[in-house]
Amino acid sequence: MAENRKYLPLASTRRLEKLMTRYYFLTRYHRFWGKPLRRPLAWVTSGAPVELLRAFRIHPVYPENYGAICGTRRVSAQLCQVAEAAGYSQDLCSYARSHIGSILRPELAPMGGLPKPDLLVACNNICGTVLKWYEALARIFRVPLLVLDTPFLPGELTESAKSYVLEQLKHMADFLAHFTGRRLDRRELERHMALSKETVNLWKEIRGFCRAKPSPLNAPDLFIHMAPIVVLRGTPQAVHYYRLLRNEVNSRVQQGQGAVPGEKIRLVWDNIAIWYRIFGFFQMFSERGACFVTDTYSGGWVMELTEGDPLESLAATYTEIFLNRSPEFRARQMIELIKDYNADGFVMHSNRSCKPYSLVQEVIRRRVMQETGVPGLVVEADMADQRVFAEEPVRNRVQAFLETLSDI
Amino acid sequence: MTGMVKTSKEKEQLNLLLEEAALSGREAAGRYPGRRFFGYFCSYWPEELVLAAGLEPLRMLPASSRGAPAALPVYCCSLAKDTLSLAAEGKFNNLAGVGFAHTCDTMQCLGGIWGETAGQAVTLVLVPPVRLDAPGALAYFKAELAALLQRLAGLTGHQPGGEDLHRALALCEHIRRLAARLDEMRSLLPSPLVAALLRAGQVMPRADFARALETALPALQEQAADPGDKRRVLVSGAVLENDDLFRSIEELGGRVVADDTCTGYRHFTGSYAGGKDDPLAAIARRYIAMPPCPCRHRGLDARPDHLEKLARARQAHGVILVTRKYCEPHAWDAVPLSQRLRGAGLHVLVLELEGAEIGGQERTRLQAFLESF
Ligand code: SF4
Ligand code: SF4
Repeated sequence: MAENRKYLPLASTRRLEKLMTRYYFLTRYHRFWGKPLRRPLAWVTSGAPVELLRAFRIHPVYPENYGAICGTRRVSAQLCQVAEAAGYSQDLCSYARSHIGSILRPELAPMGGLPKPDLLVACNNICGTVLKWYEALARIFRVPLLVLDTPFLPGELTESAKSYVLEQLKHMADFLAHFTGRRLDRRELERHMALSKETVNLWKEIRGFCRAKPSPLNAPDLFIHMAPIVVLRGTPQAVHYYRLLRNEVNSRVQQGQGAVPGEKIRLVWDNIAIWYRIFGFFQMFSERGACFVTDTYSGGWVMELTEGDPLESLAATYTEIFLNRSPEFRARQMIELIKDYNADGFVMHSNRSCKPYSLVQEVIRRRVMQETGVPGLVVEADMADQRVFAEEPVRNRVQAFLETLSDI
Repeated sequence: MTGMVKTSKEKEQLNLLLEEAALSGREAAGRYPGRRFFGYFCSYWPEELVLAAGLEPLRMLPASSRGAPAALPVYCCSLAKDTLSLAAEGKFNNLAGVGFAHTCDTMQCLGGIWGETAGQAVTLVLVPPVRLDAPGALAYFKAELAALLQRLAGLTGHQPGGEDLHRALALCEHIRRLAARLDEMRSLLPSPLVAALLRAGQVMPRADFARALETALPALQEQAADPGDKRRVLVSGAVLENDDLFRSIEELGGRVVADDTCTGYRHFTGSYAGGKDDPLAAIARRYIAMPPCPCRHRGLDARPDHLEKLARARQAHGVILVTRKYCEPHAWDAVPLSQRLRGAGLHVLVLELEGAEIGGQERTRLQAFLESF
């Protein structure tokens, strides 16, 4: 994290650091408070319906977020090697490998690894990898594994798919009642869903401010400040935090302050961040006046929680998330972002680790370029495992891309 | 290989099957004029519905080393890359359409880009439940199958009735029984021969396959011979588009006595548990009860239990877990499977292949493995 940022830092970052430190502190010392308060700890995937878990007072912990931390701290490669030595192929998702490495060798891992789970909850709306990853975890820890199967949507959500997910959610609720010894309190569930909704709306509003010229935020801001929407979604802390961030971003817009001084080029980012180069990578752009005004990844958390029966709403919301949808849907989304944010181009991170995100990118790229007329660049890397990052070729490609854009 | 074949009819049919296996469906349209073929990738694609709609199911197999199509990155498995390259060469133009059963992230992506990149107007996607034992899985699966049947019917203009479905189920069941008879003889027959015959059953018209295999079975029985001191192995993995692995095992002194590959016997396992009165439910139930592939979930033990049991039943001493480079589901499963099977006293080799071909290095590993027990 020693690299220099060439763009304006946000004052909220200090609050964010405090918030996240507190969350990981509570997580780390869960063994002291979890049992007496009857609040089990669950490892959950980023796309799991956490509101239901919160209604049962379960403390959720996110190995994917932890994977991103390992990436940012540049310890992923070492942890991945530990997992690889235990037989896990180098071609598997680097969040998963880093996490498994941290379990096998906690002394090498940030915060000494995550505290052991009482429960595992995996929802396959983001990928098939999480299913295998959580199966592996269930074999290691021998704790219950709940799998929520949200069928992939080649088109729109069908009634039968929705009923299927709903049925599973009902059973999940029954299991959790038994597991925690609490009854499902629908008011509690609604309260957490309302908090989620508010968080999501704030996040949407904050992102919306970036339509302004110059944009008040750049992609690294979005990536860093998305942490609470992942790990604290459905809590008052997340709402408080995003209100603060909203106000700061809003005042930037009022004052015409841009994240990148002298913003000349506006870009859209696709795919997960390159965590181990979070500042250095984007600096190649910001030093030439290019700002990433929006992205598809942190934007994935702008999901509309529909009205009505809470479990039905969860079923639809979590099945319809963008990674569970067709390339057509994703291309359309990208096209809208480009138009909406007045972008001059887009950059796709072809992320070796995340196949569902990356394998369709070339087709999306072509379609988006055709429909919008703006150029798109593909950069090959990995979100956490820095061993596959080839600095020179990436730098050259970025330079050439920015030169074309400056000529326009 | 066919030296001891009894009658010319049997010989002829056996040769037909081997010829079909070698062609891997590539000339199906020319060889069977008047039939319309419908391509599919995965054994979770319900052949019964294709047949009921009046089409012939054809498994789409890659031809090795076709290079990289521009639409997919290097870190994608060669099954997806090579079939897409074949499609770009126009090799699948004669198909009435292509069907994707949702399995892994790669297939999900390939299904999403196929229509546009392969120029195939008809691309159908079926999304079976991943969690086979989930509450509501059967009802959801049935609804998916019903919707698929309608879409297939739309292709031919023939609305399949109950009779069509029953006939299709009966044919598939008959084929599975024949395949089971062949599978039971596999320790007595050369491994590449059995592998080829099973592949033929996925790339030629099904009724023709059933007829040919039924006719050829006595000849195969006659050919059956004690394997002597050959090393008995179980092979598990996804798609193998040719018999190179089986041939190499045989050449190096092994015999594949049990096979859990998608293009091998896995494709033919399971039965219509619960009867055939409700054909769609029968199809769904078979898939739900079948030994799951790594892309499906039925608890943690279903797959290891199945493989351990299979290895014991066939007295295999070694297990070869074949994974394709960049294939995540099988790479994940290789870890717990090796642990479990080694724990059960079996020799285990995890063999990563780029495609289905065995190169020099892989051959050396195979040899060392087979010599180790
Ligand atoms: S990075 Fe991609 S493959 Fe890995 S857990 Fe996330 S969605 Fe799944
Ligand atoms: S080989 Fe593996 S990654 Fe490729 S399509 Fe099959 S299961 Fe998917």
